[in-house]
Amino acid sequence: MLCIETKNLRKKYASTIAVDGVDLQIESGQVFGFLGPNGAGKSTVIKLLTTLISPSNGEISVLGIDPTKDPLEIRKKIGVVLQQPSYEPTLSAEKSLDKYGMMWNIDKKIRKKRTEELLTAFGLEEIRKKKMDDLSIGQRRRVQVAREFMHDMELLFLDEPTVGLDPSARRKLLDFLRDQVKKSGLTIFYTTHVLSEAEYLCDNIAIINNGKIMAVDSPSELKNRFGHEKTIKIHISQVSEKLKSKLSEISECHIKLEPEPTIVINSSNSEIVLMNILKILNETETKINDLSAIPTNLEEIFLKVVGDSN
Amino acid sequence: MIQINPIIRLVNRNLTISINPGFIIWQILFPLIYIFVAGFAYTALIDNVPFGDKNIDYPAFLASGMIGFNIMNSTLISGIIIWNDRRHGMFEQIMSGPFTRSDYILSNIVTIGIIGLFSAALITAVGYPVFFNSVDFSIVTIPLIIFGSVVGAILFGSIASIISTRLRSSEGFNVIINTVFLFFAFASTAFYPVQGAPQPLATIFYLNPLSYLVDIIRAGIFGQVTDFVIIEMLLLIALATIFFVIATKLLTKLDF
Repeated sequence: MLCIETKNLRKKYASTIAVDGVDLQIESGQVFGFLGPNGAGKSTVIKLLTTLISPSNGEISVLGIDPTKDPLEIRKKIGVVLQQPSYEPTLSAEKSLDKYGMMWNIDKKIRKKRTEELLTAFGLEEIRKKKMDDLSIGQRRRVQVAREFMHDMELLFLDEPTVGLDPSARRKLLDFLRDQVKKSGLTIFYTTHVLSEAEYLCDNIAIINNGKIMAVDSPSELKNRFGHEKTIKIHISQVSEKLKSKLSEISECHIKLEPEPTIVINSSNSEIVLMNILKILNETETKINDLSAIPTNLEEIFLKVVGDSN
Repeated sequence: MIQINPIIRLVNRNLTISINPGFIIWQILFPLIYIFVAGFAYTALIDNVPFGDKNIDYPAFLASGMIGFNIMNSTLISGIIIWNDRRHGMFEQIMSGPFTRSDYILSNIVTIGIIGLFSAALITAVGYPVFFNSVDFSIVTIPLIIFGSVVGAILFGSIASIISTRLRSSEGFNVIINTVFLFFAFASTAFYPVQGAPQPLATIFYLNPLSYLVDIIRAGIFGQVTDFVIIEMLLLIALATIFFVIATKLLTKLDF
C-alpha cells in the first residue's frame, strides 16, 4: 500500500522554486531516506507532506488523504520531528514527554508507562528531572525524538534527527527506529546529511537537488546504477619527474602530494588502469608503500549524483 | 479513551508552561511591595483620593489599581506564549500535531482569560485587608469586576500576541514589550489619581486602556458605577475587539 504519493509537486516562494515537480511513491512499512545538500528542498517537501504549508501545484496523498482537503486527519496519524529544535524550556525532560502525550490525548496510565520506556530507550533517565533549557543540544534532540513516540502513528517524519547526537546515541536511535518499523509496521520518512546513517537504516532512498528528484532506489540498487567507478589509492615513497611525465598520459588517475605522495585512480576500468600504473611504477623503480581499494559507498554516489545535476 | 477537547488540552499545556513558581512569586511579590510599601509610604503625600461620591484612602486606591495592573502584567506575560512557542519551535510542532489554528488561537485566549481572572482574584485576596473598609460590592458590581478582568485580559493578551507575531528578534521583542509595559503601567490611573495631574498627563492617562480597566474594577469594588465608567466599559470592549481581531488575523496568517 502506498503511504505517500506525490505527482508533479511544486512549491514556489516569490522568485524561488523550492520544490520543482517532485514525484514520489513510498510504500508503507519502510524507512525512506530523503537525501540532498543544504537548500535542496528536503525540509520544504517535509513541510508540504506534514500539511504545514500548501503546494503551489501538483498532487499529494498522505496515508490516502489529500492534505489540502483534510489536513487535520493526516496530522492525527503522523508524527513529526522537524529540523529545528522544539521544546518547552520550563519543563523537565520527563514532564516534557508526559505533557506531549497529554496533548495527544493519551491516557494518563499509558503516558506514565511510555514515559518510563522512552526515558530508558533514549538513555534519558539521568536527566529526567533536568529542565529542557539546561540540556545540551544532543540531549534536547533525544527528548524531541523520544517525545514523538508518546503517541501512536502510522507515519513518522524525521528531519535530520541525529543532529548533535554522539555516535553511540546515534546508533541507539537508529536501532530503536529499525525496531519500531519491524514491530509496528511504521513508515519513516527520514532526512539526514550523514550518509552512512541512511545506508544503515533506509530501505529506499531518494536524492533531491535544486528541488528536483535525481534518483530513487534502494541503497544497493543505487550502488549498482552509479557505483561503476571505483577508487584505488597507491601510496608511494616519492614522485620523480619521470613518473609524473609517464602518469600524465593516463587521464583516469592523478597524483596527490599531501599528506603523502599518492596516486588516485578513479575509473570504471580501474583494474586495467591499475595494471598500467603498476607497470610504470616498476619502470620508474618507484616503491609502493601501500595500496587500497575504496568500496563504493552511498556518500560517493550522493556526491556523484548531486555533482552531475549541478 | 475519553476524547478531551483539543482546546482544553492546549490550555492545560499553556498553563503548565506559564504558571511556574517564578511567575507566581512575581505575581504576588510585586503587587505586595506596591500595596504595602508604596501604598503606605505615599499616604503622607496623598491622603485621600476622590472616587465617585467617595473619598478612599491611598492604600485602598493603590490596592484596587493593582488588580488591573496585575491583569495587564500577567496577560502580557501569558500573551507571549506565542512568542515563546515560535522561538522554541513549538508553534510548528503543535501545528503539525492534531490541532487546528483555531484550536491554538482559542486556547491562548482561554489561557489568558484564566490567568487574568487568577491574577485579579490573587490581588483582590492580597489587597482586601487594605480596601475592605471602603468596599461596596453588590450584585451589579461583582460582574463588573469579572467583566473588566476578562475583557482587559483579552485586550492585553491580544496586544502581546500581536507583538509576538510581528517580531522575530529577541532584542526587538524585549524592547517593545518593556516599552509597552512601562507606558501602560505608569501612564495610567493604576498608581496615581488623575485629579491634580497636569492636563497633558491626565489626557495621556485616558488614552491608556489600563486606566479604563482600573477604573472599571475600582467602580466594581467601591460601588461607584458612573456614566463615565460605562463609557470606559464600551471603550474597553471596542479596543479589546479590535485588537483581538487583529491578533487573530495575524495568527491565522503566521507562516512557517
